[in-house]
Amino acid sequence: MDITTAVQQVPLNNYIVLSIMLFSIGVMGMLLRRNAIIAFMSIELMLNAVNLLMVAFSAFKGDSSGQVFVFFIMVVAAAEVAIGLAILAMVHRNSGSVDINHLNKLKW
Amino acid sequence: MLLYLFYILSAITVGCALLTIFSKNPVYSVLFVIATFFSIAGHFILLNAQFLAIVQVIVYAGAIMVLFLTVLMYLNLNKSVESSKPLLIKIAAMVSGGLLFLVLIASFKSGLSIAPTSVRGDAGLIKNLGNTLFTEYLFPFEATAVLFLSTMAGAITLTRKK
Amino acid sequence: MAAEVAVATISAPHDYLPIIVQLIVVLAFVGGTILATHFLGPKRKSKAKLDPFECGIEIHGNARTPFSIKYFLVAILFVLFDVEIIFMYPWAVNFKENLSVGFEAGMNNFIQMSIFLGVVLLGFIYVIKKGVLKWD
Repeated sequence: MDITTAVQQVPLNNYIVLSIMLFSIGVMGMLLRRNAIIAFMSIELMLNAVNLLMVAFSAFKGDSSGQVFVFFIMVVAAAEVAIGLAILAMVHRNSGSVDINHLNKLKW
Repeated sequence: MLLYLFYILSAITVGCALLTIFSKNPVYSVLFVIATFFSIAGHFILLNAQFLAIVQVIVYAGAIMVLFLTVLMYLNLNKSVESSKPLLIKIAAMVSGGLLFLVLIASFKSGLSIAPTSVRGDAGLIKNLGNTLFTEYLFPFEATAVLFLSTMAGAITLTRKK
Repeated sequence: MAAEVAVATISAPHDYLPIIVQLIVVLAFVGGTILATHFLGPKRKSKAKLDPFECGIEIHGNARTPFSIKYFLVAILFVLFDVEIIFMYPWAVNFKENLSVGFEAGMNNFIQMSIFLGVVLLGFIYVIKKGVLKWD
């Protein structure tokens, strides 16, 4: 069995449905939880849903560009997590909580 | 056979993702998210994106989630101190998440039908990936270095003692 | 190009079957061991038994005391350099190939990576100058 038939054994539609599921779970987590760290993890889930879809399209088209994009998404996700968690640590130091309902000082 | 493997992996992925957002203890959430990322790495292998599968394990499961765990320990959040939202808001969140899922599925069902094109399965091998990265995407690659630089400066500036 | 890659020795998804088998064996062994010790071992739940070992001295405080933010900063820097490393694997594979094509192509590739690493090195120098990695 060569690679092409191996990849084609799972239809592309299955991957689309799976990544839509993952993305919706991420959105649900964002809406459901108040802990800012779990909100961050939901963002990671959504990013991974997009990554999975991009790799699926790339593999089915035989074009490496999609997978290079996944590379850059991973890099941006790492940078975002580093800065975001640093901000959260500072928020926790100043206000003693990472509950997103307490972060309403900029509201008007 | 690969199709069954796909279904098993998908069940693990979706189950662990659901457990991530529903478990009370944040540390359990992190562990379930790591399991989700491992199963997504399995999906990458099924799609013959072998290098990305390794990178997924190294970067996401190995580095980013360890950072999350470090922050949980640093903030001393290993027990659930989260105030829960009112029931109405929880139900609204579930319904809106489910609606988003339905809308996306429906738009995909009616909108685009992807015909299987001629597949070249070797797109995910490290050599072809590198070829594309260092010819077409050379500028984004160099710009990534600037992103790293600014992230380092930002993290140090944010966490430095006054 | 595509055809000659296809005939080379490249692995397909089903070549990863041994890894799955090993994963199952590992998980079964770990799970089996934990279950076996749970069922076979004696259980004594006295206060002295459940205490963390501290040389006979009375324990004081919580194990989860807040630690210095320097550890956290080191973790952030680890993530950044870890992500930077993954760009070097495809580069290394391509570099060898380009060098076999000719000196010009190899040099070109080398300069591309040097610019990237130079900018990242600037960040590293900044980190050192700020004294983040100093422990006293």
